[in-house]
Amino acid sequence: MTADLQVRPPGRTASAPRTRRRRITPPWWFILPALLLFTFVVLVPSARGVYYAFTDWDGLDPDFAVIGLRNFTDMLDDGDALQAVWHTLLIAVAITVIQNGIGLLLALGVNSLIKTRNFLRVLLFAPAVITPIVTAYLWRNLLGPDGAVNSLLGAVGLDSWRQDWLGDPDLALWMIVLVVVWQFAGYSMVIFLAGLQSIPREIYEAAAIDGTGALRRFWSIVRPLLAPAITINLMLSIIGGIKLFDQVYALTGGGPGHATDTISTLIYKDAFTLGEFGYSIALAVVLTIIVAIVSAGQYSVLSRNEKAAS
Amino acid sequence: MKTRRYAALVSALTAVTLAAACSSGTNANSGSDGGGGTTLTLASVDQGSIEEVIKAFEAANPGVKVTFTTSGADQYQAQIRTQLSSGTAPDVMTVWPGNGNPGATYVLSKPGYLLDLSDQPWAAQLPDSFKQVAQYEGKTYNALFGLNGIGAVYNDDALKKSGLTAPKTWTELLTFCGDAAAKGTPAFALGIQDNWVTQLVLYALAATTVFGADKEFDAKLQSGQATFSDSQWTAAMGKYQDMQKAGCFQKNPLGTSYEASQTLAATGKTLGIVQGNWIIGLLKGKNPNGKFTMTALPATDDPATFLMPAAAGAGYGVNAKAKNKDLALKFITFIMSPEGMKLFNEKQGSLPTLSSAGTTVDPGLAELTTFVKDNRTVPFMDQLWPNAKVQQTMLSGLQEVFSNQATPADVLQQMDAEYKKGA
Repeated sequence: MTADLQVRPPGRTASAPRTRRRRITPPWWFILPALLLFTFVVLVPSARGVYYAFTDWDGLDPDFAVIGLRNFTDMLDDGDALQAVWHTLLIAVAITVIQNGIGLLLALGVNSLIKTRNFLRVLLFAPAVITPIVTAYLWRNLLGPDGAVNSLLGAVGLDSWRQDWLGDPDLALWMIVLVVVWQFAGYSMVIFLAGLQSIPREIYEAAAIDGTGALRRFWSIVRPLLAPAITINLMLSIIGGIKLFDQVYALTGGGPGHATDTISTLIYKDAFTLGEFGYSIALAVVLTIIVAIVSAGQYSVLSRNEKAAS
Repeated sequence: MKTRRYAALVSALTAVTLAAACSSGTNANSGSDGGGGTTLTLASVDQGSIEEVIKAFEAANPGVKVTFTTSGADQYQAQIRTQLSSGTAPDVMTVWPGNGNPGATYVLSKPGYLLDLSDQPWAAQLPDSFKQVAQYEGKTYNALFGLNGIGAVYNDDALKKSGLTAPKTWTELLTFCGDAAAKGTPAFALGIQDNWVTQLVLYALAATTVFGADKEFDAKLQSGQATFSDSQWTAAMGKYQDMQKAGCFQKNPLGTSYEASQTLAATGKTLGIVQGNWIIGLLKGKNPNGKFTMTALPATDDPATFLMPAAAGAGYGVNAKAKNKDLALKFITFIMSPEGMKLFNEKQGSLPTLSSAGTTVDPGLAELTTFVKDNRTVPFMDQLWPNAKVQQTMLSGLQEVFSNQATPADVLQQMDAEYKKGA
């Protein structure tokens, strides 16, 4: 009912600024349906959920007590929880850096004029359309003691490089990062590629005439003009990294021991294997707060950069 | 102006409808599942066997229809708790014996979710060790139909090919492991990437070392007279490590899944596996021509002292608010009847809990059957622990021991700490 007011076909904006129609301000109550929907589908259930973080509910017994902040103070004494927070942040940062680094390099590669670029784009993006749980089980087999990775290393004479990839607590966390990056680097690539393709060719040509090198071109042209793509990619990967569950659960189950437990796997275990729903919800509240702080902080820094760059 | 007013009306209406939909959603109760006298609802984790039992039950009771769902244990435990607390649980459901997991007898009967089955004829006939875990505060809530044991399961062909014989004592076991490893086929497959598997070898050793030395150990643990740290549990842990050092298991057990360990044992890449009797069916699935024999895992040098861990598997309980209580009880009576029990256990590869059921047991389980008959079994240790955290601490702790992140003493101390927290 209101959708047609401000929509302009993207291609035409530059050529038709003067014919812009009179701006219509919709009345405030147009927001009501969306607001109500959001309130009853998201806000109210979430608030009711948060309430349980302050109880000792076991997920079953209707008799439970409100215990104030005890779940939160318990967390500070819970070595597993603190370790999980550390793993979560480590995984999120590692994924964000590596996935976007590789994604950007891939985007620069397939943005060139090489012949197979369309084929490569499809190929590199393909893993991103598979369900994460499927890729994780696939890699669990590949990384097994007798899996393809070790067989391959053996076949090329690198026997000493063979490892118990998922069974070694020093390696397992990095294998999770590897699997996530393998799957989603192509996804980052596509977003970077869209950004790259919106950079007008003329700017490169002008720079070439001025005699700039490739590095300088990247730093002074590509980087600032790619800022919106960088923002969205970093946001997506850091939030995805902090919330990571499926891949961890399928690859290692948080093990060996607790070596790869993240906040999300701990939330699941505390609720569903230990029946400590109150504590588990308290962990979930903490996770939400971490995600909110990190993404708000990141967004404000990046959008400042974006403005500075443009 | 006209369009504005119209739009206002539409948005207001939408809002009201939405609000109404939301508020009625909270106590909506689907009363349309047939509810009458001929439909029974059931939720189960016994994939692969419950289907046959239901078929037989429906055939024995013409006109009766069983609507059922099956799922894995993790998912089931999450789902059943939500259903019970929201009043939407099925009439009959899987319930685990004893305590220590979110779907166990004590946990579900304490808030009153299960129907008291004490007046059922089988309730009095259950052997004492099963009564202990089927009852809560003296009342029976769980129809336990099958029993499982843990021991060393050998691949007979692989054993013959290696020229070795199954060890009869602890000393022989260590020699056997060394010899088997030297031949390139390790003695036992160990798939502890799935952390529940870590406990099996420990339970097999603890049955003899802990409970052979002191049958009353659990009672002492409960009364605070004993601890894990300061008991034969230390010896059991030590023996687990001795086995690892003697090369009893294949390389990289922490990277090996339960599934992969089955393949190793079934195809003769190891001579056997330390597992529950349910593994025999799974091994035969991977190697239909294979023959597999289960024996007690030696933990001392005196075979007369050997005990085997053997415990009731998950049974069935009746929802206290069952829509169709009569039919639910009829179903419970069926699975506890000689006919139902025989069918269920043959499909699962387990042994019946009541001696009256004439189940044909897999020949590979002869030794377990004898141990059960001679009362030389100990329940799975976790079934009487006060909370689920003790077992989970042990499971992840054992993974940490295998990856040198913790010592057995650390793990036992943590288990003591969790045990003391109580229910």
